[in-house]
Amino acid sequence: MATQIDALEPLPLPEGPPERRLPPRQWIRENLFGSIFDSVLTVVFGAFLAWAAYRIGKFVFVDADWEIIRRNLTTLMVGSFPRTELWRVWAALFVLAASLGFGAGAVGAQRRREVAEGRAEPAPKGVAARRLAPVVILVSVLLWFSGSLENLLLVLAIAAVGAVSNVVGRRTPRRLERYVPLLVLAGILIAFLIIVAFGGIKWNDWGGFMLTIFLAVGGILLSFPVGVLLALGRRSSLPAVRIVCTAYIELIRGVPLVALLFMGVFMLGFFLPEGVARPDTVVRVLVALVMFTSAYVAEIVRGGLQSVPAAQVEAAQALGLSPYRTTRQIVLPQALRSVIPGLVGQFISLYKDTSLVFIVGLADLLTISENITKQPDFLAQGLIVETLVFASFIYWTGSYWMSRESQRLERRLGLGER
Amino acid sequence: MSVTQNGKDMIRLEGVSKWFGDFQALRDVDLAVDRQEVVVVCGPSGSGKSTMIRCINRLEKHDGGRIVVDGIELSDDLRNIQEVRREVGMVFQQFNLFPHLSVLENITLAPRNVRRRPRKEAEESAMELLRRVRIPEQAHKYPLQLSGGQQQRAAIARALAMEPKIMLFDEPTSALDPEMIKEVLDVMIELAESGMTMIVITHEMGFARAVARRMVFMADGEIVEVGTPEHFFTNPEEERTKQFLAQIL
Repeated sequence: MATQIDALEPLPLPEGPPERRLPPRQWIRENLFGSIFDSVLTVVFGAFLAWAAYRIGKFVFVDADWEIIRRNLTTLMVGSFPRTELWRVWAALFVLAASLGFGAGAVGAQRRREVAEGRAEPAPKGVAARRLAPVVILVSVLLWFSGSLENLLLVLAIAAVGAVSNVVGRRTPRRLERYVPLLVLAGILIAFLIIVAFGGIKWNDWGGFMLTIFLAVGGILLSFPVGVLLALGRRSSLPAVRIVCTAYIELIRGVPLVALLFMGVFMLGFFLPEGVARPDTVVRVLVALVMFTSAYVAEIVRGGLQSVPAAQVEAAQALGLSPYRTTRQIVLPQALRSVIPGLVGQFISLYKDTSLVFIVGLADLLTISENITKQPDFLAQGLIVETLVFASFIYWTGSYWMSRESQRLERRLGLGER
Repeated sequence: MSVTQNGKDMIRLEGVSKWFGDFQALRDVDLAVDRQEVVVVCGPSGSGKSTMIRCINRLEKHDGGRIVVDGIELSDDLRNIQEVRREVGMVFQQFNLFPHLSVLENITLAPRNVRRRPRKEAEESAMELLRRVRIPEQAHKYPLQLSGGQQQRAAIARALAMEPKIMLFDEPTSALDPEMIKEVLDVMIELAESGMTMIVITHEMGFARAVARRMVFMADGEIVEVGTPEHFFTNPEEERTKQFLAQIL
């Protein structure tokens, strides 16, 4: 019976958009060699790419002498941080893994609920692995350079702690969900305290990648709220607030970051009253970075605030929401999600601008990369290329990770949006 | 229309005027709306209909005259304004739902934040309202995943969640495709029959005939004519009313 029906005519397929998927050979012909001009471009750029890949590969795997990185890895990571106190850094990493893993788990649970309620699409397969990829690549390279079994085991233990707290985070009861961001922030704070408190290591001994990350994360976490407040202040109906915020933004944006760093370090003392302890250089630098970035963040956020239609505010007012609630729950959420690309761009900028702190005598990742080439064993061997490639690679993984996360966030928030 | 303080009026406008720059949008408007009364306002565009009802919940500030809502006079006192806004629900032409919140969150936002209802209780009454406007299955969607008619019904539910004594409708069906107008009007008719005090700006004359106790015709910032729907449609007195009706009927 069945064969008879098959023989009559094929069953109609369910309707769907026609699939346009070319076999590789045809795709190449259409897209790479469609016309003479295309073919020329393809050949020229193909040759260039192949040559570049060859040169880079040859440098990284054959010519380069990575001994300088291997021997100075700890210095690159933590600068002159006392080697007997390194356990503090590892302990901080454990705490960070626990709190970030927990936070990611809680967000994941929220996402799954939205999927179950039919207002978000399920995440594509393997998305977690892809999101972690930049971190995994970075850590693998670092482990390869360190070549130490002990470090490998420590990293695996940290990863395990992160995974376990991720599982715990997924079981967060819904009514506690709003405390998750606080908990993650508390984790970051505890990690910080483990390093500095209880006879810990003061800022002046910080250095290397640790200092870079500290300045970048601290700068981002502080300049974001300050920038949002400045943006709101610039639109305030109170003239005094508006004038102060506008003046601040315009002044700071008119000054080079380098000048601000110098001022923070050399001029702050004049402004502080007698008897107040002079803060460490690292604190002064952080303040300068936050002052600088928050002015830019403020202008980006202001653009977002202007993009929220007045009708949204009217609808909130008509419901009896107070001005604070209206800003907090209606205007800001919509304003911020429309400026994610600009904000993340600013934060990536800040991350790399931390390398400017060398001018006030701090030893960040980039400074150390240069300094180690002056060691007696490595002097005058042209090893600056190796150290710069290594430092750039570290900067790049961080920036690339931020950029990818911002794109993901945009897509995620874009669903069901105007 | 004599002005007396008999406490029966839900809304009372006395000699209200409003300027936008040099343009006078409202000229000496008097209107009193009874408890449980449904008033339909019509008139050509630019006649001040929207401005008038937007003054009632202070989305616009009137420049002259008095506005008293349920015994509270609107003044610059922020507490008075908040109190009036809690009593007055508003539905907009463009729905103005909050796109970053689900339908359920749109509805529970004000009860939770202004009336301080616990989440569970607020969600239960929100679901009740969504059943009333016949879209309970859309509770967890975002507004832009809904059709226009569904969005406007969600917006009505959002306004009702504050348990207002008065509902203002600013051309609630003008932005809708024809086949969705009826589903919104049906909800509004039920609301009118439940005894809600309503001021509705609309050109849906079938709706006006069905539920309006009085018709108000406005032109050039003035109330030109007020009357029962029967009188208004069959026997208008003013020349401007006749012209307007000839154009839209």
